[in-house]
Amino acid sequence: MKNKFTILLFTIASIMLFTGCGATYITKGTAFPKMYEQQPRSILILPPMNESTDAEAKDYYMTTTEMPFALMGYYTFPTEMVSDIMKQEGVYDTEILYNMPLDKYYEYFGADTVLFTRIKKWDVSYMVLASSLTISIEAKIMSTKTSEELWKYTGTVVVDLSGGDTGGGIAGLIAKAIVAAVNTATADYVKYARQANGKILYTLPAGPYNKMYMKDQDVKLIDQSIEK
Amino acid sequence: MKNSKMIGIAIITVFGLSMTACSNQPKPLYTYGNYSESYYASKKDVNSDTALELQKSIEYAIENAHESRSGRVAPGMYANLGYIYLKAGKTEKAIESFNKEKSIYPESTHFMDRMINKITVAEGK
Repeated sequence: MKNKFTILLFTIASIMLFTGCGATYITKGTAFPKMYEQQPRSILILPPMNESTDAEAKDYYMTTTEMPFALMGYYTFPTEMVSDIMKQEGVYDTEILYNMPLDKYYEYFGADTVLFTRIKKWDVSYMVLASSLTISIEAKIMSTKTSEELWKYTGTVVVDLSGGDTGGGIAGLIAKAIVAAVNTATADYVKYARQANGKILYTLPAGPYNKMYMKDQDVKLIDQSIEK
Repeated sequence: MKNSKMIGIAIITVFGLSMTACSNQPKPLYTYGNYSESYYASKKDVNSDTALELQKSIEYAIENAHESRSGRVAPGMYANLGYIYLKAGKTEKAIESFNKEKSIYPESTHFMDRMINKITVAEGK
């Protein structure tokens, strides 16, 4: 019994060690200096660009972005109203939206920045023994005044959906726990999209309505710029 | 006997800890209620029921804004409500809401003025 516990501890420690090795950390100030230079106050959230195989992902994901960006301290334009107006202006097609000159958004809405989101993955993949749900979102803030990229980050969430016998041992126990959590809402992708947002949002420098505004330059995040 | 006493103390301690954890939790910056959930539901099933639920959740977020850390209505909430009024043809209430959005968040001034201007032009005032 005691032995098993030691093995468990050892496994956890080594997992932590290995994942720790893979990542390089960088501070918000070093990663996104232009956010601190330009100090934007508002974000116009555009309808997402959907690159996944799920046609509905666009409409669903759109409902998850307004709240977290507002809570980070920015004025967020009402997403539903904005996307409706875009449709009326005949530019709901994200291809057009994402290629529009950025100063147009300042002209029409008075927005300091625009948020582009790209749904890279929003699908369940089925394998012989297991199936998993992957949601991957890339988010990017562009200045409407200088047309520069101010901030960019990608968040990915992978959920194991395998049911039935997950085998013995520690891995089996963990898998079973995940299955139990997932079975209650297997199809609820949006819940995991919100988790992916969480992985993205912690890297965003705080906005003027957040008490951390201009005080979070030293907060560390995983450096994604050297991955590719 | 001793054992059960110990268990009792342990339970009380755990309970106490969980209670303090609750009261120490910082208030969120804004009150959203179930805005995000009802927004999603209104996209999943597009009908008058889910649209009404969304409107109710927006009204709830506005009415309970004072309970949040900022005490302010969250960004975009009055604009959302104004837009619902506008679609229902209640233009006066729409303008009132757009003006409220503007007074809380000056960042929205340009956009809200554009909306108000559109309404007044359409109505020939």
